[in-house]
Amino acid sequence: MHTPSVLAAAASGGSFLGVDWGAFVVVFLVSFAAAVVIVASYALGLRLLAVGSDDDAGADGALTSGRQGARPAGVTVGAYACFALGGAAVLYGLYLIIPQFH
Amino acid sequence: MDVFVTVALVVTIALFFDFTNGFHDTANAMATSVATGALKPRVAVTISAVLNLVGAFLSTEVAKTISQGIIREGDNGVEISPSIIFAGLVGAVLWNLTTWYLGLPSSSTHALFGGLIGASIIGAGFGAVDFGVLLSKVVLPALFSPLVAGAVALVATFAAYRITRQARSRGSDTGFRHGQTVSASLVSLAHGTNDAQKTMGVITLTLIAAGYQPSGTGPQFWVIVTCGLAISVGTYVGGWRIMRTVGKRITDVQPAQGFAAETSSAATILISSHLGFALSTTQVTSGAVVGSGLGKKLAVVHWGVVGKIATAWVFTLPAAALVGGLTAWLAITSTTGLIVVAVLAAAGAATLFVLARRHPVTHENVNEPAAGNEAAAESATSGR
Repeated sequence: MHTPSVLAAAASGGSFLGVDWGAFVVVFLVSFAAAVVIVASYALGLRLLAVGSDDDAGADGALTSGRQGARPAGVTVGAYACFALGGAAVLYGLYLIIPQFH
Repeated sequence: MDVFVTVALVVTIALFFDFTNGFHDTANAMATSVATGALKPRVAVTISAVLNLVGAFLSTEVAKTISQGIIREGDNGVEISPSIIFAGLVGAVLWNLTTWYLGLPSSSTHALFGGLIGASIIGAGFGAVDFGVLLSKVVLPALFSPLVAGAVALVATFAAYRITRQARSRGSDTGFRHGQTVSASLVSLAHGTNDAQKTMGVITLTLIAAGYQPSGTGPQFWVIVTCGLAISVGTYVGGWRIMRTVGKRITDVQPAQGFAAETSSAATILISSHLGFALSTTQVTSGAVVGSGLGKKLAVVHWGVVGKIATAWVFTLPAAALVGGLTAWLAITSTTGLIVVAVLAAAGAATLFVLARRHPVTHENVNEPAAGNEAAAESATSGR
């Protein structure tokens, strides 16, 4: 996470109406990337856990029922890796919130 | 004696402001969790109350947010007297209760700034307020916050639905509810570390101004405890009226949307304060809910409701300033004037509570959509 502070430092030159627009853009981009990556990975984890279940949904959203198969181990591992990313993000969030950690 | 009466009144109303702040902002973290059924209403407010209390004790930095340079203090500035602080708090409390009665999420911080600004103008003239700082620290961030959070939540919601096949894959709704509980709790904790600090700052400022505490010292222990308790009791009592607006009336929030909205809010709030460009919690979460409505196929965003909320945001600062100014005008004359104002403010607050009882919103009916929202509920169902 060193990139944002570097960017913020580099961009903090320009200010207009007293607002540091460079910092604003950095906040926007970092928030955007973080939220989208976390949400997408958590959703992907949920989706992977549903693989092979009897009521898994196909690409069109229709249910592909009847074909109940075991979930490959790799898929399960992938799902938990996705959740682990979310867990790491929560821990980093706690680190940011609690000043005693800095 | 006069000083003691003034300080006692300021501390009382500051704690009451803290209480309204808590119950106003329960909706920020918990409205979407309640709306999607991720948490039962009582459980949601309990979690939020506990985290707010914990948050109040976590942060040890003195809340200097209050002055933030908007009101010029110190050598070449004005003397902020306890009466002016009292008047500012009256403005903030009355505006908070008004928006609560109307069920509108609005920033308690803006109400506090507005009240203090109005009171300072009356007490010390227009020179007391730095309008440049006001624009760059309060007005412009208020415009960005909902836009940033809305854009982030829009894309996050779209991605969540896309990946989970419109949330039809097995267990996705349950999974999103669990995830949402976690991100909403982070928002609550972050709120506790910020907002209770503001009231601590105000009380400490008053004690210093009155000479009860040497300047340059931090909040005393009893101040930290009472502020933490006031905000968490307020959170527990819960602003159900505002929760219904955020969770059901802007758009009927579904689990995937709730997860995307809360995660976007948590990310935006934490990252913005970490990078030193703090955005308002209330405005971030409201914007994220709108974004999550736009990101879901066929979901309806009620722009009428969004418009009302935006209007409330525009009026928050000037309205609180007006009340704060009027109060200051009466209060700085004498201790009698101060007590008259206190009685009037209490009467105003009581009136709003009585009015609210006529159409109560409680933990039982918080998830009822508004009349006229049937169409929304219908299209939300067909969109799944």
